[in-house]
Amino acid sequence: MATRLASTDVVVIGLGAAGGVAVLPLTQAGLDVVGLEAGNVLTRRDFAPDEIRNNVRDWPMAIQKANQEVPTARPNAQSPTMRLSGHPMMNGVGGTSLHYWAQSWRLNPWDFKVVSETARRYGSARIPAGSTVEDWPFGYEELEPFYDKVEWEVGVSGQAGNVNGQKDPRGNIFEAPRRREYPMPPLRWTGWIEKMAEAARGLGWHPFPGPAAINSRSFQNRSGCMYHGFCNRGGCHADAKNSTAVTTIPRAEATGRLKIVSRATVTSIDVDRQGRVESVTYVMDGQEYVQPAKAVLLASYTYENVRLLLLSKSRAYPNGLSNNHGQVGRHYLSHHQGAGVTALFPYDLKAWYGLPAQGVGIDNFADDNFDHAGLDFIGGGNLWVYSDRRPIGAANMNTFNRVPGWGAAWKAWIKENADRSNSAYIQKSTLPYETNYLDLDPTVKDPLGFPVIRITAEYKENERRIAAYTQDKMEAWYRAAGAIDIVRAPVGGTMVPTTHAYGGTRMGDNPETNVVDRFGFSHEVPNLGVLGASVMGTSGARNPTLTSQALSWRTAEHLARNWKAVTA
Amino acid sequence: MTHFLSLLLLGSALLAGPVAASVFAQAVAPAAKLVVDSPRLKSGEPMHKDFTPDGRNVSPAMTWSNVPEGTKAFAVVCADFGAGLPPPWVHWVIYNIPGTAKGLPEAVPIDPAVPMPAAIAGATQGLNGWKRAIYRGPAPPVGTTHVYYFTVYALDADLKLKPNLTRAELLDAMKGHILGQGDVVPVYERRVPRTAE
Amino acid sequence: MSETPRVISRRDLLRTASAVGAAAVAGGGEAAAQAPAAAATPAAAAAAAARPREAYETLTAREADMLEAIVARLIPSDANGPGAIEARAAHYIDRSLAGALHAEIDAYRAGFAAFDRYCRMSRGKPFVELPPGDQDSVLIDVESGAATGTGAGFAGSSAAFFTMVKQHTWQGMFGDPYYGGNADFVGWDLLGYPGVRTMVTAADQQRLERNQLPPNHRSAYDFDGFNKATARGGHDHDHGPGPMPDDPTDDLAQVHPYEQGELTHGD
Repeated sequence: MATRLASTDVVVIGLGAAGGVAVLPLTQAGLDVVGLEAGNVLTRRDFAPDEIRNNVRDWPMAIQKANQEVPTARPNAQSPTMRLSGHPMMNGVGGTSLHYWAQSWRLNPWDFKVVSETARRYGSARIPAGSTVEDWPFGYEELEPFYDKVEWEVGVSGQAGNVNGQKDPRGNIFEAPRRREYPMPPLRWTGWIEKMAEAARGLGWHPFPGPAAINSRSFQNRSGCMYHGFCNRGGCHADAKNSTAVTTIPRAEATGRLKIVSRATVTSIDVDRQGRVESVTYVMDGQEYVQPAKAVLLASYTYENVRLLLLSKSRAYPNGLSNNHGQVGRHYLSHHQGAGVTALFPYDLKAWYGLPAQGVGIDNFADDNFDHAGLDFIGGGNLWVYSDRRPIGAANMNTFNRVPGWGAAWKAWIKENADRSNSAYIQKSTLPYETNYLDLDPTVKDPLGFPVIRITAEYKENERRIAAYTQDKMEAWYRAAGAIDIVRAPVGGTMVPTTHAYGGTRMGDNPETNVVDRFGFSHEVPNLGVLGASVMGTSGARNPTLTSQALSWRTAEHLARNWKAVTA
Repeated sequence: MTHFLSLLLLGSALLAGPVAASVFAQAVAPAAKLVVDSPRLKSGEPMHKDFTPDGRNVSPAMTWSNVPEGTKAFAVVCADFGAGLPPPWVHWVIYNIPGTAKGLPEAVPIDPAVPMPAAIAGATQGLNGWKRAIYRGPAPPVGTTHVYYFTVYALDADLKLKPNLTRAELLDAMKGHILGQGDVVPVYERRVPRTAE
Repeated sequence: MSETPRVISRRDLLRTASAVGAAAVAGGGEAAAQAPAAAATPAAAAAAAARPREAYETLTAREADMLEAIVARLIPSDANGPGAIEARAAHYIDRSLAGALHAEIDAYRAGFAAFDRYCRMSRGKPFVELPPGDQDSVLIDVESGAATGTGAGFAGSSAAFFTMVKQHTWQGMFGDPYYGGNADFVGWDLLGYPGVRTMVTAADQQRLERNQLPPNHRSAYDFDGFNKATARGGHDHDHGPGPMPDDPTDDLAQVHPYEQGELTHGD
């Protein structure tokens, strides 16, 4: 039988990038917090520079909870559903912030106001048909203090491009005003990255080093980056990557108010007769526990956030928790990360060391930084080039149809070219659509017997046009740096499970079209908050983590400051 | 490679012989009739399995005559217009064959390090449908008969074309240089295997 | 990373004997005449033939012969350096099939059987007896899927078997030597990969860019402090990630002093 535990103030479900941030303002405000984490505790000793373990055998992700509930996917409701293997996220204290790339961008102000800004500049007819996009309930200015907070609490390196309106051409001149510099200078560049920056300047573009939650020098008594690589799907052996496992979580633990329960698989969020959350049920080592709490913050990533809500049915919420308006799972979108460009150069790039967050970005064609009047789409993409190469990956490089994939000719080719190619995946803005959504798969179940998430979503015309446009720009950039051959991946396709998944519990003032309010709390369940990119209604053209963390801090701070009202 | 195989299967499912023939007709320019023959290939007759993956999968010998005056080079393409997306599926592309050549020997080397036989010295192979610069014979889905066009082109110049051209790139490069052409058109059907796949 | 030698059984000795026999056939006059490229290293071939082959722990002698002959064509030993044989890629696969790749053992067994049937049906001989040019021709037909439908009995497409063997050969050639392949770092040297390090200073990067950074021939697990429990193939399930108390002597915990002075970017 289930063991009922002593009540606590707040349960945070998931101690990853989002939940791992929220625990700090909560505990600092004097609240007692139980953090339920499906994974375990990993340390720097677990992060050997080992490509076979990290990238081939997917350790530890392959053996984790997330990997047993991989969403299925289909492009639309008329198509068959695909079963896929390998969940992109990992479980563990720190979650995917352990092995992520640590690119830590702020969104562009346009991303908060896609509807009104498009209408103002080009006319509302330019919003693609079928899109359910809304303006965020607030603008960039509202989130700026929280971006700043997280950048300094977690530790982000970078070069400011706009401090209080003062533009600095060393940074991203398209970024919105920030109140101060980054706490650390940017990660260093290699000769090859310098060469790409120079090529961009020759095209009249504005290259800049990207922001990273990675120490460029020692910070908070932890090491600077060692630049040895292997942190693309691997953790940092020097604790220089600022996952929540080495930043906010230990500081929250130091308050004495955070209790971490690892290996805890949450199976439902339970409500009382008034429809308020009263406890969370989880399974650990085969035993079921009920953890009562006055408030719950759900931070288990987009797919699991939606799944837990849909699985938590009750008399008050017969279609799933906080789903009486049928909005849970709607407005789903993911970054269009396909449609990449791969280039071959006639010289070695010396890219054997380094990390994906160490690179040069171009924002000239992102968001609304360029005039779309003569174009047939809205939004755009960020171009990003970085230094990161591992031997097995290098040996699997594209051979540009110049040689077969094995044999003596291939061997001669790879000896010459192993360090001569580079790929850019180009993050492109994606809009939500009526026909793109998440729900429970009718047949596929996890080992506990609960249905997995089914993704029904595809990239629409607007996204495909952005892809083709930005591929042109990327090819021009590579060619300007001397590329002799280019291969482009196809644009469009099905949205398969990804680390850049948004929506499903969208934030907005209108409860008819949004699951959570402007502070991240359920419109229907007042003591339930939702953290993570599932509350975001637009993606921007950049990695979601910093925005997700800024929103988490804001939601947690709101809860602490309005404790009585929220938990009344 | 499974990708290419699926294209092949899809292509052959969509296209029947007559459609293929009309596609072929559009692809060539009118030119003098080159007489093409082969010791082991006959138009309309099944190929020997030596020229397929059911056997050694070597290229067949070919001969040609009635060569137009002024011929400086030859090129040969083997294509299946009943497969490929879009058709044709290309099995072989070889060019820069010297104008003195009377044909091709059997089993042209598949290893680029092995020199071409002296009679066709300088001959260069282009990319087939599997993106390899070698001959690969028919492998149609079991139970279907496919038609294979071995087409020989006589050219008015030694174009010294670079390696690894596709059929389309070769046809483009040969435009305006074709003095004559001819073909031999065998068929192939895979027998139902003795053991289940 | 070197492994404790295993006790050699009588069966292993029989396998060794058959390998020598196969190598002798492959090195015969017909093969040499048809494959000038492969003849570039006759000394290496002769040495390989003369050396008794080490024991395999999962594959049968026939399977091991076939696998060695396959990987020798996938990444041949030639003027560009040692190939998959010298890297011990086949041994990597054999050992992994007893561990992390255990789920693939049936695919290998069935694949080898179909591969052998296909060679005999289409080329009239077992793979190890074919000259290198015909071996390549067979592998191309298996890779393209053309060997499917011949009655050899490939499960699904022959291409799936090829892809599996190729992927694992690449892991055995270019992966960390800890797993039993990439012997003497021949795979990393072929690529020009300067090796695993735990710190690359700005000065190291500049040396690399001037072609003055010597290759570092070390396995990840030659560095102190990394947990090995999960590295050896196949035992991951028994050793889930667990709490690891910080060790005061842990050399990974040091804050390295190089950072500030050597930043090449920023300012």
